[in-house]
Amino acid sequence: MKIEIPKSALLEALQAVQNVVSIRTTLPILSNVLIQAEKGRICLTTTDLDVSIQCRVDAKVLKGGATTLPARRLSSIVRELPSADIEIEVDDKDTAQVHCGSSFYKIMGLSEEEFPPISKAEGKFCYTLDQGAFREMLRKTAYAASTDETRFVLNGVFLSFKDNKLVMVATDGRRLALVEHEVEFPAEAEVDLILPSKVAAELVHTLGDNGELRIFTKDNRVMFEFGEVVISSKLIEGTYPNYRQVIPAQCEERVAVERETLLSALKRVSLVTTEKATAAHLTFGKNQLVVSMTAPDVGEARETIPIKYTGKELHVAFNPEYMIDPLKNLNNDEIYVELTDDLSPGVIKCDIPFLYVLMPMRVS
Amino acid sequence: MERTILHVDMDAFFTSVEQRDRPELRGQPVVVGAPADQRGVVAAASYEARQFGIHSAMPSREAYQRCPQAVFLPPDGKRYMAASRQIRAIFDRFTPHVEPLSIDEAFLDVSGVEHLFGRGEAIARQIKDTIRSETELTASAGVAPNKFLAKLASDMEKPDGLTVVPRSPEAIAAFLAPLSISRIWGVGKVTRRPLEAAGIHTIGQLQACNEVRLASILTPRSARHLLRLAWGEDDREVETEHEEKSISHEHTFTHDCSDYDEIRAVLADLADNVGRRLRASSKQAGLARLKLRWEGFKTITRQRPLMPAVCDNFSLRAAADQLLENEPLIKPVRLVGFGVSTLTSGPPDQLSLFEDDRTLLDRNERLSHVIDAIQRDFGRAGIHRGSSRQNMAPPEQEHLRRPAQ
Repeated sequence: MKIEIPKSALLEALQAVQNVVSIRTTLPILSNVLIQAEKGRICLTTTDLDVSIQCRVDAKVLKGGATTLPARRLSSIVRELPSADIEIEVDDKDTAQVHCGSSFYKIMGLSEEEFPPISKAEGKFCYTLDQGAFREMLRKTAYAASTDETRFVLNGVFLSFKDNKLVMVATDGRRLALVEHEVEFPAEAEVDLILPSKVAAELVHTLGDNGELRIFTKDNRVMFEFGEVVISSKLIEGTYPNYRQVIPAQCEERVAVERETLLSALKRVSLVTTEKATAAHLTFGKNQLVVSMTAPDVGEARETIPIKYTGKELHVAFNPEYMIDPLKNLNNDEIYVELTDDLSPGVIKCDIPFLYVLMPMRVS
Repeated sequence: MERTILHVDMDAFFTSVEQRDRPELRGQPVVVGAPADQRGVVAAASYEARQFGIHSAMPSREAYQRCPQAVFLPPDGKRYMAASRQIRAIFDRFTPHVEPLSIDEAFLDVSGVEHLFGRGEAIARQIKDTIRSETELTASAGVAPNKFLAKLASDMEKPDGLTVVPRSPEAIAAFLAPLSISRIWGVGKVTRRPLEAAGIHTIGQLQACNEVRLASILTPRSARHLLRLAWGEDDREVETEHEEKSISHEHTFTHDCSDYDEIRAVLADLADNVGRRLRASSKQAGLARLKLRWEGFKTITRQRPLMPAVCDNFSLRAAADQLLENEPLIKPVRLVGFGVSTLTSGPPDQLSLFEDDRTLLDRNERLSHVIDAIQRDFGRAGIHRGSSRQNMAPPEQEHLRRPAQ
């Protein structure tokens, strides 16, 4: 194999695929990136056996072939090379000679035959969305997923393609985030899947602002194809809990609050958080909301926010992190907080198809 | 107000109890702990045994090599506990401010009770005499203005000692100066090495050291702490209410173990034991910790939060299991341990979205309580998991007694 490629193009492609490369792995081949040279382009692939990422990039292919090279090392080398064309020539022992300007490297690779097979982007149906829209959906939900490995079905984002809609949900059992987006697909293509959090993060990192995203699913795998990139992943097997039942049908009070104001108030009061004191108290009084926190060994913090409110006085305590998460991932100027009492779920909404349910903390 | 703190430490407690109850052992080297021919360590050595260089935490096999004629006895926790309670009751007659440090030692704050029992030294003498007459055991005591000095003092004239630390700062400094830095609480191998490399061997040399220089050898924080102790300053209170901060259990394998299933089974038993103690103290745990010691003594710990905090065996076993599963068994395992911390009382503050989660937890918690009750009345053999290693051991007879009516 012998190729010639501009530094910037190779670096961009390597950066798109290298996140999935495990630093600690028992299989050396998984530290490597598979490089396949075809007609006028090369294809880079990495995998950790659960997730794989493929990125195609134009290159001058002087001699076809394939090899695998250590991904992180190659990436750091390419980053430091001068901005010029890089020539990579690989011999039949998978040793690569890299020339760029006055720089020369010889890098030991491993045979492409050792690289695990990668499943193709295929499936009976294809769901087509805008890249930016899908990325926003993930950004507004993925943070709510559980990291508790004993609850593996919650360690990801639930995607439900139904009634010409994609509903995306994530929950850790204490709060839940949901977004909806209209998507067209045939009725027989309705499907539910649980996407691992790792892949959700990878997609948020790699998806562009616009352009088409095509999603395929087959045999408990899902493939995302966009631009020159294909991300393929195992799905989480299991039954996602019935999230509909935890969404309150109706709350007694509804208050409009400026998102930025509430967000910074919460951030400020949570500075007195301790291991024992983790509850932020919200008191909705006449035209004002008081956010406060008291930690026995530290002190207290209090913020007062003007609001339009004339309902009954409401007092409720939340884990401030659970409120900060959705607020910082939304873009709306104004959000609505819906509450009933201090032991019932609270709801955060805004003027997009977004919904966030969070359980209060019991305080004496 | 000037404080008077006593530290009372029983002399070779376990072996003294044995020698008291079995007169034929008096004057003989006695070792309580693991049998001489098995893996395990010495828990306590009588003064006769200590003359052979035997000390607690020494492998029993080594103790045997040093003194083959020593009498090796298995620990009898019940009798030690009974003696400990008797001694505790004696402390309570003198002051309510008692902080037990372990089964055989305690701090007593006797400030303000002098008008009842006399000065610190007189109180210490009365306590020692009472212990001797009521339990036939001897204790050593230290009398000082603070905990650090009191503990140091009780150790100075063992056995049956009584050391009074002077009150004036100058006299305290002079009292400490000739002592080795290793006598300072918290100075172990790690702290001692750089200090000794810098030529600091005694507390007097430490006193002569300025804080900036010391901070460059250690950390600024420990430098300040150490200097204060070197001058005999310590303002920690005698803490009467000792709240448990963590609970853990360990198991040392008779032979290093490479069998994943066996390690897992032992770990499950440890988790059950931790759970039982957790429930007995009406606590919930927020953090689980796994400890593995490989062949060759290298030890690792791995932890994970428990959200919400739990106290049932099922959740604890699941956490233990998961921690073990994430840890590749690179070598045979010598010791496995499981512990919990971040203990809280009462139900968790954070409510759960899904009703089922709470119901399941409640059910597991109730079931664990029922198991506790059955085991309390009928012994561990009364009910246990089929996979339990405790299952393998023949049931102990005393555990099979009927419940009291």
